[in-house]
Amino acid sequence: MKPLTRRQLLGVGIGAAATGLLAGCSTPGTASANALPVHPPAGGPVTLTYWAWLKGLQKVADIWNAKNPDIQVRTVPIPGGNAGGYQKMYSALAAGGGPDIAQIEMRSIPEFMLVNGLVDLNRYGAQDIASRFDPTLWSQVSFTGGVYGIPQDSGPMGSFYQTSVYDKIGAEPPKTWDEWAATGRELRKVDAYIDVFPLNDASVFCAYATQAGATWLKPGDDGWVIDMTDDATLKVARFFDGVIDDDVVSTSIAPYGAGWFAAASKGQIAGWTVASWGDAIIEGVAGGSGNWRVAPMPTWGADGYGSSYLGGSTAAVLASSKHPAEALKFTTWMCSDPEGIDALIEHCGIGWSPAADYIGAARRQPSEFFSGQNYNEEVFVPASRQQSPDWSWWPITQQSFNILADGFRRKASGGTLVDAVAAAEEQIMTAFRNKGLSIRRAGS
Amino acid sequence: MNQDPTTTRAIALRGAKNGAVNPDRSAGRSRGSTILVTSILALVALYFLVPIYWVVIAATKTSEDLFSTFGFWFAPTFALWDNLGNVLTYDDGIFVRWFFNSVLYAGVGAVLATYLAAAGGYALAKYRFRGNNAIFATVLGGVLVPGTATALPLFLLFSQMGLSNTYWSVLLPSLVSPFGLFLCRIYAQATVDDALLEAARLDGAGELRIFHGVGLRILTPALVTVFLFQLVGIWNNYFLPLIMLADSSLYPVPLGLSNWLGQTTRLPEFYGYTTGGVLLSIIPLAIAMIVLQRFWRGGLTEGSVK
Amino acid sequence: MTDARTDASDTARLRSQTPSTSRSAVRTGAVARAPWILLAPFLALFVLTFILPILVAVGSSFMKVTRKGLFGEAGVTESFVWFDNYAQALGDGNFLASIGRVLLFGVVQVPVMIVVATVLALLLESASAKWPGAFRAMYFMPYGVPGVIATILWAFLYVPGLSPIVDVAGLVGIEIDFFAPETVLWSIANIITWTYVGYNMLIIIAQLKAIPGELYEAARTDGAGPWRIAFDIQLPLIAPALVLTTVFSIIGTLQLFAEPQLLATFSPAIDSQYTPNLSAFTTAFAYNDYNVAAAQAVLIALVAFLLSFAFLRLTNRKNK
Repeated sequence: MKPLTRRQLLGVGIGAAATGLLAGCSTPGTASANALPVHPPAGGPVTLTYWAWLKGLQKVADIWNAKNPDIQVRTVPIPGGNAGGYQKMYSALAAGGGPDIAQIEMRSIPEFMLVNGLVDLNRYGAQDIASRFDPTLWSQVSFTGGVYGIPQDSGPMGSFYQTSVYDKIGAEPPKTWDEWAATGRELRKVDAYIDVFPLNDASVFCAYATQAGATWLKPGDDGWVIDMTDDATLKVARFFDGVIDDDVVSTSIAPYGAGWFAAASKGQIAGWTVASWGDAIIEGVAGGSGNWRVAPMPTWGADGYGSSYLGGSTAAVLASSKHPAEALKFTTWMCSDPEGIDALIEHCGIGWSPAADYIGAARRQPSEFFSGQNYNEEVFVPASRQQSPDWSWWPITQQSFNILADGFRRKASGGTLVDAVAAAEEQIMTAFRNKGLSIRRAGS
Repeated sequence: MNQDPTTTRAIALRGAKNGAVNPDRSAGRSRGSTILVTSILALVALYFLVPIYWVVIAATKTSEDLFSTFGFWFAPTFALWDNLGNVLTYDDGIFVRWFFNSVLYAGVGAVLATYLAAAGGYALAKYRFRGNNAIFATVLGGVLVPGTATALPLFLLFSQMGLSNTYWSVLLPSLVSPFGLFLCRIYAQATVDDALLEAARLDGAGELRIFHGVGLRILTPALVTVFLFQLVGIWNNYFLPLIMLADSSLYPVPLGLSNWLGQTTRLPEFYGYTTGGVLLSIIPLAIAMIVLQRFWRGGLTEGSVK
Repeated sequence: MTDARTDASDTARLRSQTPSTSRSAVRTGAVARAPWILLAPFLALFVLTFILPILVAVGSSFMKVTRKGLFGEAGVTESFVWFDNYAQALGDGNFLASIGRVLLFGVVQVPVMIVVATVLALLLESASAKWPGAFRAMYFMPYGVPGVIATILWAFLYVPGLSPIVDVAGLVGIEIDFFAPETVLWSIANIITWTYVGYNMLIIIAQLKAIPGELYEAARTDGAGPWRIAFDIQLPLIAPALVLTTVFSIIGTLQLFAEPQLLATFSPAIDSQYTPNLSAFTTAFAYNDYNVAAAQAVLIALVAFLLSFAFLRLTNRKNK
């Protein structure tokens, strides 16, 4: 009789535990930290953890730490956001833990907001420092009356090119995309590609479309409004369809991968249209010193903007943090104080300063690597002022880019970018609805 | 499953012991066939050894040399000690920490898992009680369910319990080896004699004393197999720690190295760190495997002694 | 056996003659409790780490989150939606493609690996091989290299610029791209094979060593050559080992995760939903869709369970 009773007890116990756990098992990320009362300032010394993939960030933090014994910052290196870093943050948030501050790209802020992962910094006084930052960047972190990250760097785009390769065909850096295609055809004759076009990273295409004047998603009154098949986007898609078909760009070499470095140092890749943070990467090309210059990005003619943005991160405060006020103090210093910005440039090689009027002392100098050109002042300062102010990000950016990249990949087997964009628009709408959000097409 | 493979193996091994110990299987052994077979085997061995050879060479090169010199031979600069030094000291010696973590998860995990599986298997084999077969069938089902399917909900469960991102989150699942239980039960049924147990009971030993004194000793060969199986399984496990652990000081070595690999696209010096780390983690494993493979073989034949 | 029975009946007689009946009652009680005490830790952990997660997964897969407003700031509700998440998972072309992909992978890689392991085992066990012990050690050694580390190793051997293999092939004019869409799946297959052939080979060798010598003698007196011996004696007798290794390989193939995830940074052809596990991982931790991810995990577990079960039943029926 005993084993029977014990077994029954065991069964009942398991059943009760399971029911209890299932009942308490709510999906992570559905409760908002911003609905709770504001955290009071800490009574004593505080250590903040900061997850980022910028190298050398601890040196920047140490400058602050030396002057602020009450607020100490400890940085933890994580993989790049889309290479696993965001997954770590999401799983930490789901487990109720996580760092105080995290490096989150501008385009991912809405995604974190969807899972209530970020603290609304306006509740801690962020509106007071808004004027210190570039207005375009500030608008990209502001949603529904709140501010969800402090811009830390941005990525105004320009074109880096190898003078030795361009000299082979006696060409000047192209000013429009049509000129760019023509130059590219010439460069094929000397066995060089003018650039690479990644089929698996849709953010590059997105940057080009932004430059042409597109705004894919906008927050509307009753939900989101999507428009990916507008003239600007389709023009860009058709253009790159043609260029890929004519083998003017390489689609098989992944940017800044091992193969890319090898090809660049052999002169098989003539240049790279990328954000300002590309300079640190290009400086890793073997034997490149003195051989590269920077020109403004090619434009789409009369419509569109002079430049675009690719990448750009913020320092955001995660919902699990118990010291948002202190975190805001540190990030304000790091991202808008000249001392912080200079440290970021020197130790981390950030792309571009987010401050409204300070680009950093180091960036004011001519560069030896780039043939003595003062490229920051010449190219990137104007570029940062010619970006589209209308663009905003949306809550499923990562998924949308994956959907788009999946469609792009079919280009290798006969599809077109135009078809990929149209199909992606449908699938992205479905993804929105699956998340329980409402969305409609523009003009409908 | 009427004829489980392990029982077949046990019975067959028993037969082998009774027959010729080293049967002469040579049928037409000739000089020619020896050369042919051995050269085939050598070629195959080349395939298995090439990556190891490569990583040894690669660990002696600086990051720039890695890309510019031929992979199968050394570079002019010999940077092995520098590389290894970098690997061991980077980030306050986190690689050493990772190694300690791996030993903890795999070593302690496998030992405890073996003990629990042995206890369970012995209980299922040597005692008759209601629910014996039901429990065995359920555990057997657990063998067929992939561990990765349970990892995700386990993460949610542990998050609710506050256990995720701790040592326990990886240790606890590692302590359960359904296959180990299955093996031990088969083995206990085949090798632990009921008469022995009865005799011990007559001597006044308690059930637990009998298990620890008599049962475990007889089960030893199966224990070795379960231990090795679980050791490699835990050491290999990537999905579970990836999901459970956010704090890099808790990482086992494979997860840590994958972290470094992820940084290579932005920071090329990580190529050097990663190759050095790979070399450092392969050496002990290679030695262990070469030693253990003899053990493995011997364990199975010893187990058939009746 | 007769001895044991006699002993048992002696014990029973002795017991009935024992003056203290309470002692035997305690003894019976202890014997009855013992299996539960021995089983308890294993069972408790098994319930915690297997049963409960499956229940949680199933429960979570029946719920869904709806949001009002742009980001859910106007209200978030969780509701019970029956099989909607399963429909969404099965309607996701990428997820289905990933299942198809691992099935294709399994159908090709598992037989190839088992065949290679068997051939190597037979070669090593034939007397024509010199230094079998050394070769055996070399073939088994990759098993000790964790999948992640093996993947990193081979990734470096695949990357053009780093890889001497690509260089050497280039010398003779062959352009290999290990990361192209057509080849990357088989590049992964190569890593798996390299890691596990030795292990499978050892299992088969163990079974081979169990074949009694008399069978070989009999076959030789019948005039059978090495090929006949291999096909008629060795292969049928190692069949149980082959079944075991195949079942484990099937389960392993369905769990493919580390290799594609690590190679994704090198190969643009690997999307974020390349294998079922990668798909569930991405859905949970990149798209934050825990409910759909739970549905995917349940589906993966079901497919693995059914495949293994079917294979075992199939081979058992053949044995009969």
